[in-house]
Amino acid sequence: MSDIPNAPESGCGHRPGSRRLGLLAAAIVVVGLPMVFTGSYWQANLTLCAINVVLALGLDFILGYAGQLNLGQSAFYGIGAYASTLLVMNGGWPFWVAFVTGVALSGLAGMFLALFAVRLRGHYLAIASLGFAVITYQILLNWISLTQGPLGIYAIPPPPGLKIPGVPEISFANPVALFYLVAGFALLTYHVLNQLVRSPIGETLTAIREDEISAASLGINAAAWKAFAFGIGAAVAGAAGCFYATFVGTLVPDAFFITESFMILAMVIVGGMGTLIGPVCGALLLTLLPELLRAFGDWRLVIYGAALTLVVMFVPGGFVQAVRILSAKLGLARGAAR
Amino acid sequence: MTAAIVIQQAINGVVLGSLYVLVALGLTLIYGVLVQINFAHADFVTIGAFAAYFFMHLAGGSYPAGIAVALVTGGALGWLINRSIFAPLRRKGGELPPLIATIGVSVMLQNAMLAWFGPVPYAFETPYSQQVFRVAGTFITMQSIMIIAVSTTAIALLYVFMRCTFLGKALRAVSQDYETTGLMGINPNHLVLLTFVLASALAGMGGAMLAPVLVLTPFAGATVIVKAFAIVIIGGFGNVEGTILAGLLVGLIESYTTQFLAPGLIDIVVFGLLLLMLAFRPTGLISERREENV
Repeated sequence: MSDIPNAPESGCGHRPGSRRLGLLAAAIVVVGLPMVFTGSYWQANLTLCAINVVLALGLDFILGYAGQLNLGQSAFYGIGAYASTLLVMNGGWPFWVAFVTGVALSGLAGMFLALFAVRLRGHYLAIASLGFAVITYQILLNWISLTQGPLGIYAIPPPPGLKIPGVPEISFANPVALFYLVAGFALLTYHVLNQLVRSPIGETLTAIREDEISAASLGINAAAWKAFAFGIGAAVAGAAGCFYATFVGTLVPDAFFITESFMILAMVIVGGMGTLIGPVCGALLLTLLPELLRAFGDWRLVIYGAALTLVVMFVPGGFVQAVRILSAKLGLARGAAR
Repeated sequence: MTAAIVIQQAINGVVLGSLYVLVALGLTLIYGVLVQINFAHADFVTIGAFAAYFFMHLAGGSYPAGIAVALVTGGALGWLINRSIFAPLRRKGGELPPLIATIGVSVMLQNAMLAWFGPVPYAFETPYSQQVFRVAGTFITMQSIMIIAVSTTAIALLYVFMRCTFLGKALRAVSQDYETTGLMGINPNHLVLLTFVLASALAGMGGAMLAPVLVLTPFAGATVIVKAFAIVIIGGFGNVEGTILAGLLVGLIESYTTQFLAPGLIDIVVFGLLLLMLAFRPTGLISERREENV
């Protein structure tokens, strides 16, 4: 696949020092957000934003960097959510052990799907991954003795409180604390993926994306690296699922229908795939946009679809490309004025 | 008794399967010519169904005329969307942007219908569902006979068109080699338009006949389309004969799974088969030369 419109990022992000500075700035913004948005409605939206950022980052790693057209992200999201919740509620496992297990199971599911990615490309992989998502959804819906099917699972407890000696216990039943937890995880995901894509691993994946045959001729084991990319991207989606379950408190299979895969895809595309900051922007935009468009009622998802279509028609590089074009124009104008 | 059940489910399976074939053929035609997956195809099915419904209930038209209205509506919509969105995108090239545009269009159409028509299912009844013929412990409704007759005619006409007319041969030529066809003095853009209109018209017509079988909501097409994708892959992308075979097969699988296993397992069986096909025979039931994606 060679239609990745965004070239690797250039400029300030390159030096590790400024990267750390950027992360610090992002952390400060995250800490400040719940103080600016004090209503419980907006705080819930903030947590949803953080979950969607994690989801978009996971898909972007598979799609934007490894170049694998994956429409199965909703399945990994659902596997993480259901596995961790069932282990906590039915198995009585401690939350964080269940969390790690759920993430690992999602990652394994991703590596299973990668078996198909080894043989299939482009449209075939898109349909195979869509089929995988349909099967997962139907299993969640029909394995009633385990998942309670369409009735759903209710009263999912929040993650256990954090006990630090000398400080009062931090309870994640508090929405602000939960937001900090998920947002912290989103920052961590961003940082880890950022290190990954800038390492030789990232270059290997990009080489496979651009030309698999040439990459193989250089001794790159494309099959293994695809499995790696799928495993990581799926595990990240699984983690988002675990947080989603504790955040919403209820689980129904409909939350993990294939349309969820399309929504995650929309975030990556609208933001700008093949960059990490792009999907973050895309997730924020597309999570908040429907809320801001509430006045339009039923028409807001029509606007969502229109936004997706218009972006691929006119700015295929998404938000990141739009900003670049704008700043280049502004820079040009300033240059001319001088 | 058991033999009667087996035969009964075979009839049901063929009726359903022939409708799936109508929907899947459009996808396969578009893929053959354009190498493009069209997610908005689902919504042409739904819009066809609603067009027939409103034609019958607001204009007081008959059901056969409703099917014709759905056919025309589907074709017109296909023309409009291809003209305004997909054609400009294809000129820019690339595999991913057109695919994502079809998803965007699908989200847009589905939710526009949701805003207009609401989420409550519409009861799509035809006078032909009441006329039942009984033969040796099995029964078939006039509606089913009509579905089989109309879809067989449509499929046969399409087949003759593809094999025997100049335009049909040109279409097959384009699907084999887009650029060389252009050199032979055939304008591929006209053929692309023709394919799109033809495929969308088939989808609209399929919708008008599927609506009494399914629950008619703005998402009716979406439930069919995932199966149609499975059919297209099982039959071999772009392969008309394979698609017909796979469509009937999926219809039969669906009716037998409902009878002998559980209705909830239909998608699991169908997509399990899909994944097995992709793993072991990705060129489809009937092998063809298109290898570059496999």
